[in-house]
Amino acid sequence: MTALADVPVRNVLAAIADAAVRWSDADFPPRVRVTGRIAERTGYSVPVVEYALDRIFFSITQQELGATIRSELGSLAILDGFASRPDRPDAWAAPAGSVCVISSRTTIGVAIVPAVFALCAKNDVLVKDREDSLVYAFFETLAQELDEFAHAARASTWSPNDERAPDLRTFDAVAAFGADETLAAIRGMLSPAARFIGYGSRASAGYVTRESLGSREQATEIARGAARDLVLYETEGCLSLHTLFAERGGAVSLEEFGGILAACVEQANVEFPIAQRGAGAAARIARQRNLAAFRAAGGRGAVFASDAAEYAVLVEPPSSEPPQFLPRTIGIVGVDGPRDALAYLREHALRLEGFALSEKRADLMRAAVDAGAVRLARFGELQHPPLSGDHGGWPRIAEFVRWIDRTL
Amino acid sequence: MNVSHGPEPVKGYRSQADAFDAEILQCIERRTVPDFNDLALRIFAHQLRYNEPYARYCASFGVGIDALPNDWEAIPPVPTQAYKEAALCTFDPAKAALAFETSGTTRGVGGKHYMESAALYDAALLAGFHDAMLSGASARLRYLLLVPNPEERPQSSLGYMMRKAAQAYGDGEERWYLRADVLDVDAFVSDARRAAQERVPVCIAGTAFAFVNLLDELHAREIASLPLPAGSRIMETGGFKGRTRIVGRAELYEELSRIFQLPQERIVAEYGMTELASQYYDATFDAARIKRSPPWLRPRVVGPDGKTLPAGIVGALVHVDLANRSSCVAIQTEDLGLAVPEGGIILLGREPGAQLRGCSLDAEQLRAIART
Repeated sequence: MTALADVPVRNVLAAIADAAVRWSDADFPPRVRVTGRIAERTGYSVPVVEYALDRIFFSITQQELGATIRSELGSLAILDGFASRPDRPDAWAAPAGSVCVISSRTTIGVAIVPAVFALCAKNDVLVKDREDSLVYAFFETLAQELDEFAHAARASTWSPNDERAPDLRTFDAVAAFGADETLAAIRGMLSPAARFIGYGSRASAGYVTRESLGSREQATEIARGAARDLVLYETEGCLSLHTLFAERGGAVSLEEFGGILAACVEQANVEFPIAQRGAGAAARIARQRNLAAFRAAGGRGAVFASDAAEYAVLVEPPSSEPPQFLPRTIGIVGVDGPRDALAYLREHALRLEGFALSEKRADLMRAAVDAGAVRLARFGELQHPPLSGDHGGWPRIAEFVRWIDRTL
Repeated sequence: MNVSHGPEPVKGYRSQADAFDAEILQCIERRTVPDFNDLALRIFAHQLRYNEPYARYCASFGVGIDALPNDWEAIPPVPTQAYKEAALCTFDPAKAALAFETSGTTRGVGGKHYMESAALYDAALLAGFHDAMLSGASARLRYLLLVPNPEERPQSSLGYMMRKAAQAYGDGEERWYLRADVLDVDAFVSDARRAAQERVPVCIAGTAFAFVNLLDELHAREIASLPLPAGSRIMETGGFKGRTRIVGRAELYEELSRIFQLPQERIVAEYGMTELASQYYDATFDAARIKRSPPWLRPRVVGPDGKTLPAGIVGALVHVDLANRSSCVAIQTEDLGLAVPEGGIILLGREPGAQLRGCSLDAEQLRAIART
């Protein structure tokens, strides 16, 4: 029996949504305390942290949670006990049991959404929290909303060889974020029957068609969104824009588009101030800028960047080079069609999470799918996956339940 | 702007180039540069005339023959990667006296550093090596070399440098142990023991990775000690680029000192790169192992805006090497470091990239995947 086993699912959802409403208030004292700690841990500016927290907590509503559950499981009632299903046996989506969510080296609050859905499925949940204790603080609010959460939702920090580290063999399901090696190591520690939901290393790309570069106005609209996708979370997220394909032959040239994008990045830098950077990251951006300037001086490509290398937009870097993976730095890779983009992604073995598209064209969407993307979005929305979306290609709640059929 | 290089040098080039080379050679021989700023700026102007890709690059910063800086620190440094993009020289590269391949880091894409005068290059490397490595040497050393043999890898600047040093300062019996990237450890052990019996001091030169490899192999052979004759020394250079096993420098030196029974001050780190004609060496008596340059080579530590940072602040390393007369006098590296108020730099090495955190994004891993 899990701690939430006897709590009607509607009460669970209501309590989670109420806690999220409290956390949506920027003046909510626990959020105020955590905001500073997150800024300290990540180096991100406070406006970026505030933005991230707003995105998380405004999205957690009873309606969104309910809609996602109904879509994946058929009904809410099926989480409370046996329920009938059209053309299938009656079934109960019982809790998987105990769930562990491990987030390491992630941006902000990445563990919260899977933890919330695992709780909606009435599991006992343990989250490996970050030093900023965001999840711990949110779980405290949950417990204030509903007593059972005090036992159902726990968050803690530990390191791999820590005495406090839980025995992962005891969990029925584990969701983990991290590098592939980390995920493989975690997977190896689980019980053979345990479910494993791994969110491995992925990058995101964008694609701008020549039709979308038909005028400066159109190009600016796209660039505004791309700039936001680029600068948020310092280009460090799996849904950050890491490379941008643009078709040659539009009315707006790639170089002109690069200039427009750079102007939009400068605007976005005002809304989302730059994080604290080490000398190394700054030096690497400056080097990329200078190398691109060298190429541009030789008639190959162009570069737009600030003197202090706060950002860099590289136009037509050699396609033999992989994306830069540097804060607020992006290459506009010129292509003649989606096939070129696919070839680039394959050459550099880039596994895609998101693909931003400037228009809903069938061949583009097909290319995105072929590239392995699990999220297609408009520019400017790449980093805003809906709560009800299938993050990382996984369903939100389905992996956290144990189906029990009843045919008697 | 009068920019040209190619098979038909602009009239006057030869005499100008020869005059510069003679002037720089004199500075190297005398170990002093009377007016570094003046000479650096004159060499830079020469390169603006005859090194077209470099001149175009400088022009993009508003710097040219008609708009020369008045301070050597304002000479635009060319990024080292640019050597992979163009032939950066003041002369027809087909007529180069020396051409060394730059490392491709881990992507394997290399460039070339072309030099017009072997005499200038040799003088710069030998003077630096002599002053840093041979102080107190009472006899000619025997060179045991864990670096690429120029016979096998003529494009390696490190191999060339060590052959020159061995020829100039050795006992005539230098040995090379790296063949097709494999270290001949048995031959090395045999030669080291023979040198000990003959009481001939040796100079072992190798990359950090080669030394780690050597130590591993000695350990595997259960050789706990291989004492070298008094007066022996070690030159360690390079790093662990693209390698999997990385050992801290302090740990490495401690182990080398123990096995070869050599005082740590006899282990000297050289810091150089193919794109430079001159090298830095540790001032071995500093605990911090500050790197010192010869008078014709000056470092700058710069911020992202390219401006020189105050001493003690970490930034990217730029080197202004007057012996690079026929290529680019100012080079921006991929290394980080900081200047020391009393002179010299502390090298922090290559920045592996910000530790990226994404929701599932591990940039280093993605980079690694992309490299393969």
